[in-house]
Amino acid sequence: MATKDVKINDPMRDPVTGENRVIAPGHTLRSVTEKISRIVLTSHTPLGWFGGIMVASGVATLLAICVTWLFLRGVGIWGITQPVAWGFAIINFVWWIGIGHAGTLISAILLLFKQTWRNSINRFAEAMTLFAVVCAGMFPLIHVGRPWLGYWLFPYPNTMNVWPQFRSPLLWDVFAVSTYATISVVFWYIGLVPDFGTMRDRAKSKVGQYIYGMVSLGWRGSVRHWVRYETASLLLAGLATPLVLSVHTVISFDFAVALLPGWHTTIFPPYFVAGAIYSGFAMVITLAVPIRKFYHLEDMITIRHIENMGKVMLTTGLIVAYGYSMEVFMAWYSASHWEYFMMWNRMFGPMGWSYWVLITCNIALPQLLWLRAWRRSPSLMFLMSLIVNTGMWFERFVIVVTSLTRDYLPSSWGTYKATRWDYGTFVGTLGLFTVLFFLFIRFVPMIPMQEIKVLLPQSKVREEAEPLPEAGD
Amino acid sequence: MAHHANTLPHELDAPAFVDAWRTRALITGAIASVLGIAMGFLAHDDWEHFFRSWLLGFIICFGFCIGGMAMLMVQYLSGGKWGLLIRRSLEAMTRTLPLVFLMFLPVGIFGASLKKLYIWARYPNTEDALRHHLINAEQAHAIAFKKPMLNVVSFWWVSLLCFAIWAVYTFFLNRWSLQRDADTAPNVPYWQTKFENISGFGVLLYSILLTAGAIYWVMSLDPTWYSTVYGLQFLVGQGYGVLALVILTLIGLSKAEPMKTVFRITEQHDLGKLCFAFTMLNIYLAFAAFLIIWSGNSPEEIPWFLDRIRGGWGVIATLDVMFHWLLPFTLLLSRDLKRIKSRLKVVCYIMIFARCWDMFWLIEPNFADARRNLHMSIGILEYCVVPVALIAFWMAYYFTQLKQRPLVATNDPHLAEILEPEHAHA
Repeated sequence: MATKDVKINDPMRDPVTGENRVIAPGHTLRSVTEKISRIVLTSHTPLGWFGGIMVASGVATLLAICVTWLFLRGVGIWGITQPVAWGFAIINFVWWIGIGHAGTLISAILLLFKQTWRNSINRFAEAMTLFAVVCAGMFPLIHVGRPWLGYWLFPYPNTMNVWPQFRSPLLWDVFAVSTYATISVVFWYIGLVPDFGTMRDRAKSKVGQYIYGMVSLGWRGSVRHWVRYETASLLLAGLATPLVLSVHTVISFDFAVALLPGWHTTIFPPYFVAGAIYSGFAMVITLAVPIRKFYHLEDMITIRHIENMGKVMLTTGLIVAYGYSMEVFMAWYSASHWEYFMMWNRMFGPMGWSYWVLITCNIALPQLLWLRAWRRSPSLMFLMSLIVNTGMWFERFVIVVTSLTRDYLPSSWGTYKATRWDYGTFVGTLGLFTVLFFLFIRFVPMIPMQEIKVLLPQSKVREEAEPLPEAGD
Repeated sequence: MAHHANTLPHELDAPAFVDAWRTRALITGAIASVLGIAMGFLAHDDWEHFFRSWLLGFIICFGFCIGGMAMLMVQYLSGGKWGLLIRRSLEAMTRTLPLVFLMFLPVGIFGASLKKLYIWARYPNTEDALRHHLINAEQAHAIAFKKPMLNVVSFWWVSLLCFAIWAVYTFFLNRWSLQRDADTAPNVPYWQTKFENISGFGVLLYSILLTAGAIYWVMSLDPTWYSTVYGLQFLVGQGYGVLALVILTLIGLSKAEPMKTVFRITEQHDLGKLCFAFTMLNIYLAFAAFLIIWSGNSPEEIPWFLDRIRGGWGVIATLDVMFHWLLPFTLLLSRDLKRIKSRLKVVCYIMIFARCWDMFWLIEPNFADARRNLHMSIGILEYCVVPVALIAFWMAYYFTQLKQRPLVATNDPHLAEILEPEHAHA
C-alpha cells in the first residue's frame, strides 16, 4: 500500500526518484576496475570455485558417457518411439534455446531502450546465451541418429543431388540457430574488447599480458576506438533484436505448421518468444544470486537488478499465461472435436499431471512476483527462478509428448517413457553449462567495467573540466 | 562550453490553435455524417453497410481510447521521459470513453439486438436457417455450439462489463494524475507506487477485456473463425495506432509553448523508434498467423484467408501489407526521418490510415455478399465517409479534453531530464 510517509534513508535508494540504485554509491573509476578485474587476475582462486567446477565436471561427465553410449548403440537407447519420435531431445533443445534468449534481450533490446540497469548483468547474461546455445545445438545433432552426417542439413552442392527441404521449419532452425549463435558470439566479444584492454594493462603475469593483449585486438581506448566500439555495438544490437523474436518463432513453427491438435495454433510464435524470455531471465537470476553473494558483488548487482528481472518475469509469465488461456478458450470456441479432446487430454489424460505441474510452476506460483517484498528478496527470487525453469521444461514436455501420444487416430495412439539415458543426457547438459560458466567467471571479467563506469557520477558531462582518469582505471 | 538547462514555460495550457483543430474536426464530421446518411438511404441495403462501416469507425475510436489507456499504464510501469511527454495526450484519449460508449450503442442495438451485423444473432435457430439455406452447415454447427457465448444477452453483459471496468480505470488514472500535480511536495515514491499498483493489474485486465471485446465485436462476425492470436493482434494494433496519434499530437502542439520547449528531438526520435518497433511487431503477428494457416491449409481455417484474398480482395490485402508494414518500415528505417517533424508526420498519417484499411479488410469480407467478392457499390463507399465522421467527432472531443489540463505534468522526477540541453545526452 502506498503511503506518503516514506522517508528515504537507505543509501541504496535514489532520494529524488525513490528507486533502488543501479549501483551502490561510493564507487570510483578505479574501485570499479579493481573490484571486477581482481576476480580474474588474482592468483588465489577461491576454493569454492574449485569445488563448484569439480561437481559440475562430474555431472558433465555423465553427458559424455550418455553421448558415447548413444553413438555406440544408436537412438534406440532413448525412450523415443512411434508416435513420439520427438522426445527429450526436442524438449531439451527448445528449453535451452529459450534460456539463451534473456542474454540477447538484455544485451540488445535493453541497450536500444537505454535501460542502464542492464550494464551490470549483460556480460554474464550473454555468456549464458552462448553456453545455452552450445547445449541446445547438441540435441538436434545427436537426435538425427547419424550425427556425423549432420552437415547434410546445410544446403551445399554435392554429387548425391541431396538438397534440404526448404519448406521444413527444421531447416529454418539450422539457419536461425546458427545465425543466432554467430551474432551472439560477435556481440559478446566486441563488448569484451575494452575490458580485455584493461586486463592486459593490469595483468602481472607474462602469460596474462600476452593472452589478454592478443584478445584485446590492440585496444588503446582512443576516441576513435570508442566511436567505432559504440557504432559496432549499436549495429549488432540492431541485428540481434530481431533475432530475439525470430529464433524462437522459427522453433515454434516446428510445431505450429504441423496439423496436429495442440501444435497448430497461431499464438505459438509470440508465446514461445515470451516463454523463452521468461525462462531466460529465470536462469539469469539462478546464476546472478549465488555469484553476487560469492564474489561480494551486491553493490554492482543490486536489488534494482533483481527486482527489475522479477518484473520482466512477471510480465512474460503473464503473456505465457495469456497464451495458455487462449489455447484453452479456443479449444472450446473452435467447436472442433479434436481441439476439445486435445485440451481435455492435456488436462486429464494419462499425462495430465505434467500439465498441472506446468500450470503450478509457470502461472500459479509466479503470481507471488506481484509482491514487492518477494521481488526484492534475492533468496526468494532464486527459489522462484528454479520453479519457473522447472515449469518451462514441463511446458515443452506437455507440448511435445501429450500432443504426439494422442493425435487424430486412436489406432495410432501410443505412450512415451523416457529412459535413464534421456535423463542422463539432460542432466549432463546442466553440468556442461555449469562448467562453461565456471570457466567464464574465472577467466573473463563477468561484469563490463566500462559500462559500469558510465553509470558513475564522474562520467556525467560537467561544465568544468575534470582531470582525466589514469591509464588502467 | 557551458550547457544551460531550459526552463519550463510559465504557460502550460494547450495553445489556442487547438480550438481551430476542433472546429475543423467538427466540420469534417458534420459533412461526412450528411454524406453517410445520404448514402445509407441511397444504398437500398437496409442500412447494412452503414452499420458495418459504423463498426469500423467505432473500432478505430475505441482503439485510440482504450489503447491510449493501456499506453498510459505502460508508461507508468516502465518509467522514462517518453511517458511524461505523452501522458497528458493519453489521458485526454482515455477521457473520450463516454463518446466511445455512445458509438458502441448502435453496434449493440442495431448490430446485435436488431440483428443487422451478427449472423449468430440473426439465426439463433440454426436448424431452420440451415433448412432454408440461409447459412451453411459449418456456420450452423458453430452457431449452435457457441450459443452459450454468442447470444445477445451475453454480448450486452460482456460489453457493459468491459466499459464499466474501463470507466473505473479512466476515472482513477485521470483523478490521481491531477492530484499528483496539485501535491505540494514531490512525494515521488508514494505516487510512483500508487500508479504502478493500479497500472500493473490494469494492463492485465486490459488484455483480457480487449480480447473479449475483439472476439465479440469483430471475430464473431464470422462464427466459424477462430485464431488464438486474434486478441493479441488487436492489442498490438492499438499500440500502433495510439503511438501514431500521439506523435501527431505532439508535433502539432510543438509549434507553440510548452511543447516547443519540452518536446525535444531526442524524445521525438525515441518515439519514432517505438513506432518502428510496433510496426515490426504488428507484421510479425500477422505474418506468423498467416504462415501457420497457409502451411496447414486445412478446410476449417484457410477459407478465412481465401475470403480476403480472392475475388478482388487480393488488391486490398496487398495494399494492407504496404500501408501497414512496408511503407512505415522502410520510411522509419531512416534516422533523419524520425528526427524531422514534417516527415515523421506523414508516416504517422499513413499508419492511422493503415489501421482503417486493415479493419476494412478484417470486417467487410465476413459478410456473404462481400466474401470473395469485392464489388463497387454505394454500400462500399459508405466505408469512406461513416468512419471519417466517427473519427472526426472523436477527434473533436479529444481536442476538447486536451484543452482541459496543462500539457505537462509537473510533479515528475523526469521533468528535469527533458529540460536538459539536448547535446548533453543526444
